[in-house]
Amino acid sequence: MTFLRLDNIKKNYGDASVIKGVSFAASKGEFVVFVGPSGCGKSTLLRMIAGLEDVSEGQLYIDGRDVTYEEPAKREVSMVFQSYALYPHMNVFENMAFGLRMAKRPEAEIRAQVMEAARILQLEALLERKPRALSGGQRQRVAIGRSIVRHPKLFLFDEPLSNLDAELRSQMRVEIAKLHRSLGATMVYVTHDQVEAMTLADRIVVLRAGLVEQIGSPTELYDKPANTFVAGFIGSPKMNFISAKVSSVSGTGLRLDHPAFAGGSLGVDTPAAARAKVGDTVTVGLRPEHLTVGAADPVLSLTLDFAESLGGSTQLYARQSTSGTPGEPVIALTPGRPELKPGDALKLGIAPGHIYLFNAAGLAL
Amino acid sequence: MSEAMRAAPTKPNRGYGRWTPLWFLAPAVLTLFLIGIYPTIFALVTSFRRYNITRPREGFPFVGFENYVSVLTDSTFWSSLLLTAKFYVTVLPIQVVLGLIIALLLHKPGMGLLKSLARVTLVVPLATTYAVVGLIGRLIFNRDFGVANQFLSFAGFGPVDWLSTPGGAFAAIVIMDVWQWTPFCALIFLAGLSMVPGEIEEAARLETSSKLALLRHVQLPYLLPGLTAVMILRSADVLKLFDMVFVMTRGGPGSATDLISIYIQRVGFRIFDLGTASAQAILLLIITIVISRLYIRLLYREVQ
Repeated sequence: MTFLRLDNIKKNYGDASVIKGVSFAASKGEFVVFVGPSGCGKSTLLRMIAGLEDVSEGQLYIDGRDVTYEEPAKREVSMVFQSYALYPHMNVFENMAFGLRMAKRPEAEIRAQVMEAARILQLEALLERKPRALSGGQRQRVAIGRSIVRHPKLFLFDEPLSNLDAELRSQMRVEIAKLHRSLGATMVYVTHDQVEAMTLADRIVVLRAGLVEQIGSPTELYDKPANTFVAGFIGSPKMNFISAKVSSVSGTGLRLDHPAFAGGSLGVDTPAAARAKVGDTVTVGLRPEHLTVGAADPVLSLTLDFAESLGGSTQLYARQSTSGTPGEPVIALTPGRPELKPGDALKLGIAPGHIYLFNAAGLAL
Repeated sequence: MSEAMRAAPTKPNRGYGRWTPLWFLAPAVLTLFLIGIYPTIFALVTSFRRYNITRPREGFPFVGFENYVSVLTDSTFWSSLLLTAKFYVTVLPIQVVLGLIIALLLHKPGMGLLKSLARVTLVVPLATTYAVVGLIGRLIFNRDFGVANQFLSFAGFGPVDWLSTPGGAFAAIVIMDVWQWTPFCALIFLAGLSMVPGEIEEAARLETSSKLALLRHVQLPYLLPGLTAVMILRSADVLKLFDMVFVMTRGGPGSATDLISIYIQRVGFRIFDLGTASAQAILLLIITIVISRLYIRLLYREVQ
């Protein structure tokens, strides 16, 4: 059942168009993540759902009700801000109780709600403290507590973890995931960090320059990226792209030429073969973690530039050097610590199912 | 290391010696001493002497606390002080409320050009000399051709004799003070409002749609330091308010606008009893300091 629906939402600032028509629906209890590079409009979109920004065009529905022009407080949404936005002159208890007090709930109920939230978030010992006496992680928990006491219809998170250090960030990520499971609430989460998006989301909306690039579950985006932008954005390290020329097309396969391929060409079996013709440029996408060193049947023949040992695994930077100018670098992530030095020849293999193909416009073949 | 480089730091810098900083500081310190410190000390010393410059033959004998005793038992001194307090509690609430309304209007988003124009306009009354404000006041409240009576006639009221009735004169100086100082309150409150972080205001907007609750619970804590500053500055200012009132009414009619500074001026420069006037001024200084400390203790709380 659709709980949150965006219907061709647009946002203009004067002549500048920031959101160029986003349509999207989420069902009740879903965890949706908006992800994209800075300036893609993901925060603006979230703020429009909250009502903090006016919608220039389109319709917004929460729980079946048109709230496009509704005041923020009447939308029954809560938001966790990047800067936490706690009221500095109120203690933790009052910060969490403020929304309930404004809704004129009875004192006993306010007390019960706040204590319940404090118990869930382990804030009981801090209720008398002012925000300035709290650490970053504690402030973030208070901000989350403030949003859950009101039992809103929709939780909004605007890059809530980006001000925390790496360790705390992964810890809070787990807490938010647990919270989502225990509350069963609908959440919309904005981040530029694809790791947060992959680990938290039921569904990811990838945005670029005010447009949706792809909507899907984390595994769908990883396995079947719609275009080179999504393919490059999801996954770390970034997918390697090699633009090759189609030299022959058979019924079920393509032969692609590029000096980086072992023997100068690569044969790919793909049902999409019919959509390409000889002479086309095709971008071949290879994920670093799918490339294997020392495979019996290598597909890439390269020269090692540099190797970074991460302890348990090694990140290899290589280039083709068989003919002409050295091409774009290829990154491979391999387990263990292979005995390689810069300048060594590097043969990399890949399972056939892990080769991604995109046409000249960047769309998946 | 070359010889030149090693020599450089020890090379005597001609023109800069041990006493050079003193010469830079001296003019400012000297000026401050002449116009600030010396007169204060002179007033303090004078307040313990009989010092009437129309009777120089009597000399200026030291009389201990005699001047202070006579000031504290002088009913005119107390009624002037009371009138000053009445003036203060009349003008301050009006200035604070009007200033807050102006600040809230200027804080609203939109209409950038008009708002920056309004902000600049706010500085004009502040930059106007008190005496000039008094002169403008005399024109505005003139019985026969003043603009105040002209406006009243539009509303169907007869001419009011502003400056020659006790109530009218007091109202006139109140209005001129409000005109001059409301913009100051507005600017201070505007600064306070812009201190509220945007996300905190937004967080509150998600929790309540009441503008009043937003003002009371979220913006007010940021306005309190500014309010304290306004109260301190205005109370000191009202206690020494002289030029504007002197130009407009000279303390009259009767003693209707006889604020404390006007009274002290009269004792000092009409009766030429400088000993008593100095004692009054020193008492005024003490009152100002006590009031300021009180405000800071009661109101000033840091927000963050």
